[in-house]
Order: sequence, then C-alpha cells, then structure tokens
Amino acid sequence: MSLDRKKMLDMYYHLRLTRALEDRVRILYRQGKIPGGVYLSTGQEAISVGLTHALEPEDVIAISYRDLGALLTRGMAPASVFAQYLGKITSPTRGKDGSLHIGDLKLGIICPVSILADNIPVAAGIALAMKLMGKKNISVALFGEGASNRGDFHEGLNLASVKKLPVLYVCINNQFAYSTPLSTTMAIKDVATRAAGYNIPGQVLDGNDIFAVHSAVAEAAKRARQGEGPTLLECKTMRMTGHSEHDNANYIPKNLLEQWKKKDPILIMEKHLTEAKVLTKRLKEEITSRIAKGIEEGIKAAEEAPLPKGEEAEKDVYAPSS
Amino acid sequence: MKLEVIMPRMGESVVEGTVVKWLKSEGDRVEKDEPLVEISTDKVDTEIPAPASGILTQIVVHEGETIQVGTTMAYLETEEAAEQAPMAAPKKEERVPTAPQPSRKEEVKVVPLIEAPARAREGRFYSPLVRSMAKAEGVSLEELESVPGTGQGERVTKADLLRFLEAKRPQPTIEYPAERVEIMAMGVMRKAIAEHMVRSVHTSAHVTTVSEADVSRAVATREKLKDEFLKREGFALTYTPFFVSCAIRALKEYPIINSSLDGDNIIIKKFINVGIAVALEKGLIVPVVKGADEKSFFGLARAIHDLSERARHKKLHPDDVHGGTFTVTNPGMFGNLLGTPIINQPQVAILAIGAIKKRAVVIDDAIAIRSMSFLSLSYDHRVLDGALAGMFLQRIVQFLEEFDSGWVNL
Amino acid sequence: MAVLTYIEAIRQAMWEEMKRDEHVFILGEDVGRYGGAFKATQSLYQEFGPDRVIDTPISESAIVGAAIGAALMGMRPVAEMQFADFISCAFDQIVNFAAKSYYRWGAKVPLVIRAPSGGGVHGGPFHSQNPEGWFFHVPGLKVVAPSTPRDAKGLLKAAIRDDNPVIYFEHKLLYRRIKEEVDEGDYIVPLGRADIKREGKDLTVLTYGAMLHASIEAAQKVADEGIDAQVVDLRTLLPLDWEIIQECVKKTNRVLIVHEDTKTGGIGAELAATIADQTFEFLDAPIRRVASLDTPVPYSPPLEEYFLPNPKKIAAAMRDLARY
Repeated sequence: MSLDRKKMLDMYYHLRLTRALEDRVRILYRQGKIPGGVYLSTGQEAISVGLTHALEPEDVIAISYRDLGALLTRGMAPASVFAQYLGKITSPTRGKDGSLHIGDLKLGIICPVSILADNIPVAAGIALAMKLMGKKNISVALFGEGASNRGDFHEGLNLASVKKLPVLYVCINNQFAYSTPLSTTMAIKDVATRAAGYNIPGQVLDGNDIFAVHSAVAEAAKRARQGEGPTLLECKTMRMTGHSEHDNANYIPKNLLEQWKKKDPILIMEKHLTEAKVLTKRLKEEITSRIAKGIEEGIKAAEEAPLPKGEEAEKDVYAPSS
Repeated sequence: MKLEVIMPRMGESVVEGTVVKWLKSEGDRVEKDEPLVEISTDKVDTEIPAPASGILTQIVVHEGETIQVGTTMAYLETEEAAEQAPMAAPKKEERVPTAPQPSRKEEVKVVPLIEAPARAREGRFYSPLVRSMAKAEGVSLEELESVPGTGQGERVTKADLLRFLEAKRPQPTIEYPAERVEIMAMGVMRKAIAEHMVRSVHTSAHVTTVSEADVSRAVATREKLKDEFLKREGFALTYTPFFVSCAIRALKEYPIINSSLDGDNIIIKKFINVGIAVALEKGLIVPVVKGADEKSFFGLARAIHDLSERARHKKLHPDDVHGGTFTVTNPGMFGNLLGTPIINQPQVAILAIGAIKKRAVVIDDAIAIRSMSFLSLSYDHRVLDGALAGMFLQRIVQFLEEFDSGWVNL
Repeated sequence: MAVLTYIEAIRQAMWEEMKRDEHVFILGEDVGRYGGAFKATQSLYQEFGPDRVIDTPISESAIVGAAIGAALMGMRPVAEMQFADFISCAFDQIVNFAAKSYYRWGAKVPLVIRAPSGGGVHGGPFHSQNPEGWFFHVPGLKVVAPSTPRDAKGLLKAAIRDDNPVIYFEHKLLYRRIKEEVDEGDYIVPLGRADIKREGKDLTVLTYGAMLHASIEAAQKVADEGIDAQVVDLRTLLPLDWEIIQECVKKTNRVLIVHEDTKTGGIGAELAATIADQTFEFLDAPIRRVASLDTPVPYSPPLEEYFLPNPKKIAAAMRDLARY
C-alpha cells in the first residue's frame, strides 16, 4: 500500500466524521427538528470517502444522495450540512432544497437530484468538457444498483464508452432499492457485468474496505487520465438503515444486518490501522473528541442560524445575464 | 428551562403517531439523545431520543394514545438556559379535517387587484356583464352614467345595476281582480316616451321657475290679425307663434340656454331649432322648427301649423323630430294654468305656456282687467343657475308684455 | 358505509377493481410486499399475489412502456409512480406512445398512472411538484385529480374502466388528513364531471386537489364578512367540465381560479382564457388566479409556505374580487 500515515489518518477522520454527523442527523430527525426526509449512508461511508481521497482535487464528483463522505472529504463544513437538513438560510441551498442535495462547484461536487441515474449522462458531459478543455481531470458518477436499472444508465455509459471519456462510474450496491432487493430487479448478480455491454472494464470490489475502494478508484482514474476511457466499479456494501428514516426496513432480514455489522467499514479500517500501528488508542480518542467538538459546533451554528424569510422563495429562479 | 418533547413527523404523508412505550417515568433523569419513548406511525416504529438532558417532569400523552404530529408528548426540565434556536419543523398542525394546511403564522403579502379603470374621458368603465345587462334591459349609456357605483373606484357592479333596474321598473305592487282592471300593453310610442322621460329625469338636474306675463298686447294683435290671417293662410292664427317668437328673441340674448351638455363640455348652438310639443291621441311628439331664428313671424306660424298638422296625421319625416335646441310646450291649450315640463334631452331648458286668462291685476295702484298667462321654465341645473334662467324667463315676459304689432310684419 | 381516509379509498378502489376484473393489475416500485412508499397498495400483494402486484426496478419509462404493452393486449394496468415528480422519466412513453395510440391506429390503451403529487409536506423540489400542467396539454390523455375520499375511489374506478390513458394525480397531503364516509362496493364518479362542493352566489372558485380544502376554508372565513363563495371541485382536469364552469360563471359573474401548480401556463390559464372567450359578457370582474409562485418548490418551511397558496391568500383574493 502506497498510502502514507497522514493520508490514512485523514481518511479515517473523514470516515468517522461522516458516521458521526449522520448519527446526529438521525437524532435531530427523531426529535422533530428536521422538516423533510432523511436518507443516510450508515454502513457504506467507506465508498464515498475512499473514492474522494483517491482523486485529484480538480476531479469532479457527481454524487448521489448517500454520499456525505465525498462532501466532507472535499471540505464541506458540518454546520452547512446541518443547516441544509434544518432548512436554514445558511444552508448551501439557502433553504431551497433539503436532504443531501448539496453541491459546490468550487469543491468539485455536483448537486444531485432525486431522480436517480440522472447524474450518469451528466458525468459523461463533465468528462467531455475536461477533454475538450484539455484538462487532465476526470469525472465520477456515484449511483446505486437500483439507479442502474434506469435508461439513463445505459445512455450515459454507452456515450461515455464510445467517446472514450475520462469518467468513472461507481455503483454503490447496497442490496436494496428502497424495499426491493437486487434479486428482484435485475437478472444478474453483479452490476459490474453490465460493463461488457459497453466494452469497458467492470470490476467488483468490497465497498466496506476503504483501502480496496481507494486503490481501485486510483487505478481506474489513472486509466481515464491516460485516455483509456471509462470504468464501471461496483462496490458491494449494505444499507444498514431504512431507505429513509421513516422506513423501518422490516423487509431486511435481521441476520443479514447482523452479518454486515461485523463488516462495518469503520471496524475494518480501525483493525487495519491498528495492525499497521498507525492508530493508537490515544490518537483514536483524540480524533473522536475532535469530531464530537466539530459536530457540536456545527449543530450549534446551524440551530442558531435563522430560517429564510418567505420572500427568499422568489429569488434566483434565473441567473443574471453576464 | 422547560422543554417540550414533540411527536416528530416520520414521513411526508404521516399526520399522527401512537405512543407505544415510555422508556422513562416522570421524575426520571434522562441524558440528551438517550432513548425516551417508543412511537409507532403508519410507516415506522421508532425510539425518540431526548432532545436535551434533564428531568422528565411530565408525561402528557400516555401509552396507547394517538396524537397529531407536532403535539407535545412530555415536558423536560433542563439545566440549560434557553439556548436553542426555534425548531425548523412546524409546531402542532391544526386538526381541521377540511383544512389540511399546516399552521400559517406569517402575514401574507397579497398583490392587490388591478384597480378598476377610473372614469375616463369617454365615460366610465363598465364590465362586460354590466354592458350586456344594460343592453338587454334597454339601459342607454347615458342612463348607465347616472347609476351610482359601489365597486372599486365607484365602478358600477352587477348589484348596482340590478338596484337601478329595480328602481326604474314600475312597481307592480297592488294586485287588482282581473274584472276590475283593464290591462293595456304599452305601444311603441308610449314606451319610447316613457324611456325618454325617465332618462331625462335621471340625466338632468331639473329645476322649474314660474313667472306671469301680461299678454294683453299679444292678444290684441292676434284679434286684429286673425280674420285676415285665416282668409289668407287657410288656418287659424294661434297664440303659439307669439310665445315662440318672444322666446326666440330671448334666446338670442341668452345663447347658453340654447345649448346641450356633452360629457364635460357645454355645446352652445349658433342656430335655434325650436321643438313644439304636440299632443296626439296616443301620446305626444315634438316636431322641430328648424332655423326658427331666421323665420318671420308668419313663417314661424306656418311652420308650427304645418308640423302640428303633419304630426296629427302621422306625416312627419324622421328628420322633423330631431335637432331641437329648445322646446316649447303648451299645457295652457287645455285651460291649465301652468306646468312643470321635463326637459327634452339633450337640451337644457323647456318653456311651458299656461292658459291665457283675464285677471284683475294691479297696475299703478289701479285695478285693471288684463289677459294674463303663467310661463314656467324647466332647466338643467347642471348647466344653468337660477339667476340666469330667471333673467331669461323675465326677458320672454318683457317681450310678451311689450309685444309690438310691428313685429308681425317682419 | 365506513369512514375512510383518502389513501384507504384509493386502496379500496384498486382492491374492488382487481376483484371485479382479472385484467386489472398493479405495477411500480415497492408496490408489492412493501405496500408502496405511501402504503397505498398495502395488502394487495398478499391478496392478489406477485403476478398481479408487480415490483419493478427503478425504471419509470419501462413501467409505463410495459403497462402500455399490456394495455394494448387487453389488460388494465394501474402503474404507480413513487412520486409524481418522477413521472418525467416516463414522459415520452406517456405523451408519445400512450396518448397518440388510439388517434393514430385505433388501438386503445386502457392505462392508469397513479402519481402522488403536491407540496406542503416539506418534500423539497423533487417530492412536491404538481405536474398536471404538463399532461393537461396532451390530447389523448385524461387527467384526474380527486380531492375527497369518495371522489378518489369513484374516479379511480372510472379511470380503470376507461379505455384511454388516464393520469391520476393523488395529493399526498390528503392521504391521511382527509376522511369521510365512503360507500362500500361498486360506484363510479364519471370522468369529466366537476362538482360544486359549496354553493354560493357572489363568486366562483374553480379548484381541485388539496386546494379544494384550502378554498373551502377560505370561503368559510369570508362568509362571516358577507361574501358568499361558490367552490367548484373540477375533479377531472382533462377534459374539463365546461358545462358546469359556464353555469357558475353565469350565476356568480366573478371567477377565482386556485391551483397548487405554479401559475404560468397552468390549468388556470386555460380556464381563464376559455371563460373570457365563451362567457365574456357574463363577467363583472377580471378573472383572478391564486397559484404557487413561478419557482421550484422550496424545501425550508417558511419558503414553502410563501410559495404555496393557502386559505389566507385565497381569502384575500376572494375579498379583492368581491370588492371589485
């Protein structure tokens, strides 16, 4: 492994921060403080965190709605994320959108829409622009296995492959599309096999192993930068919560969750870091308290921020002409 | 600080939740985010974490009870001072089955309606409905102008027009047994007269001024001329030309009487066309002596006779009844002393001649027997004031009293 | 008669139609064992089995396309969009394949697409829209938007039995908030007929869906001030019931149109244009509209409240109109 100590600890920090922040969001929701829906990434955080760490800062990520790790890794402040859920004027969308519909072009993050797979052709377009503008950067689209059943998946991958665009398609296979298990929505076991239809590499990997994600993404990104076209990576993982916080997910067998709990990405990473003597007990405590402090400060700032005034609703329907 | 624990909204369509189990009892201490209560909704069963650390002082909603989203389930007494910002989620939603709206606190800015167009130069604004109703009910635009409006900017509304029509309609109030009444449909002329008269009353501000004239000189002149006149002209010389010619003389001195009102403008006519009211069997008609100011006395007498005859024999041309600038009516013809006539629109004045009767009058402190007649002038106070109208009427009186037999030869 | 919520009435309609006609079947995302994202199809899977309550992939275009295919073969599919906002993914199948089929080649497409629409639930830009305007413009489609449980049941049964593609917009705010007594057993509410939900003489409100309830509340508010508003529930948006609409215009001479969809190019625009065209001489005031702002549906509660019509805004418009 070519990762240095600092990089590994950074990844660990972002992984833990993602989990901790969403744990707080869950509580806020149950306390009735979040007006809208909440969709969390508990159990699958290693993918968005590991992936983002494997990219160049100028690479662009078209996230989906469970990819908080990418946002936090790129530097989005917890206060902004809390403000988004709470609908505050300080939120990245100024209260106009909720859940994880957050984007920031300066951070290289494209704001997702609720309509899944829409970001797949869009990522192809971003890659096309990189190519046309002579940049060495790439784009990444993140989506679930459920989204890969939409027509836009096919149209996007076909276009990207035939044009050999520098784009990475990362499917987060968390087994369930809302209540529907993968086996009832596709006749294949691995989404990665769909890559064959586009004559691009398709690879299955363990999405709960952050280092596996990191190295696979780094490898595919390198190929994309060299003009060898897109790659379809399928990260196997498990959605450890309901589709949303108002879904109790009683359709997921309890024992399945128990099995996956043992493969929690944080546990796996900690085990690895401890064995490599990167993470000590003292360091872990330090990181834990740093995260807790950041979260509390973030919540405080978000809760203290005002709600937008009604008239704000009318603003910014159109961009001013430049 | 006292803190409410509320039933959260667990999903877009969820409106209520049931308390399944309290995990703490009243008086227990709870830590922030520690599970406090289990709830169940249509969509999910879940534990609700405490919003803050403190003592669970009161459980409001007991196990098994179902409540609206946003309702307080319990109270916590916390050590902290009030530090939390207001919650984003709406508080308790109103339980109004026909009113599925979350509570609305803020004042709503409402964009006002476009102002009803103001009274324009050409007249007021009327809605399509008011126009179509007016047309169907035979209400002219002039009449419509007189309807008071209660809508925005005094616009005439449907209700205003209905009120007007109601008032205009003859009150068919008392019912008689059929055998004791005769029902007579109004003919075309009757309806036209009715419409015309009502419109005039609604249009002009009517005032009537009365004066008395000693017409002995005119009577004497007529006596002197009448036989020869009959022989020469083939019809009797009436008093009408005497009054009309004196009125014309006065009109020339007071041209504003010879006018009409058009919007905000008074149109003063430089010609005098005198309408003469002629009683018919089934009504009344007012033929017009055109260019009356240019006619000699006999010419005037002839024209009046001609028009009256043709009126009685229904031989008038449409042109004969239009274009009047002043009207003379003669209720005295039937022996009546005086009348208060209604102005013939769009003119602004009308003269009524009372019966000529011999009366004892005082002249220079002596009582004399003279031929007297009451003259009444109805005028539109919008255009004319009492002083001017009075002076005009007095001028006619003067001309009559000083009637010069020489005038008839002119 | 039993008291049913709006969503229960919808469920009962599907249940009864599936019992009545074996050609009726359901397809959509999570509609099977899970019972649908809103539980509209709850228990249908258990009763009718996986062949008649079909879970599909997240593939709106395929859901509608397959439903069209089945309908062409004589089946009567009821397709569910998880949220009406996602119907855009199936737009092409609806407006090009389904809507034009009978016109072009005489092939009937007896298809119902159920689409949970509407805001007021803090769902944000992609879980709150009212996309009826998109389909209102498409000849060959029928568009239905019930506001009460009784109508919801009767209209859905009528839609299922109709030989044309019908988009059935069910307002999610009403799902569990509105209850009333609903006839058990078979009855239909015919498509294309509006319903006067409140009689009044001073002005007519033309509305549908959740705004019916907001308009009734507003009418009650202004009644104390002497304004007597008639409230018409359009129920079917395409085709509109011009007969009732014209009757109401002739009766009250003042018209207020209320819809939750955004204003520009909404159904209110067509209503206003046709009323002006056909009944101009009966208008005693301008035709007024209360609708959502011409913006996406914002998430944060104060923004959404500002965006949406509500009884207060409607009452203000009623007063304005009555005063004109």
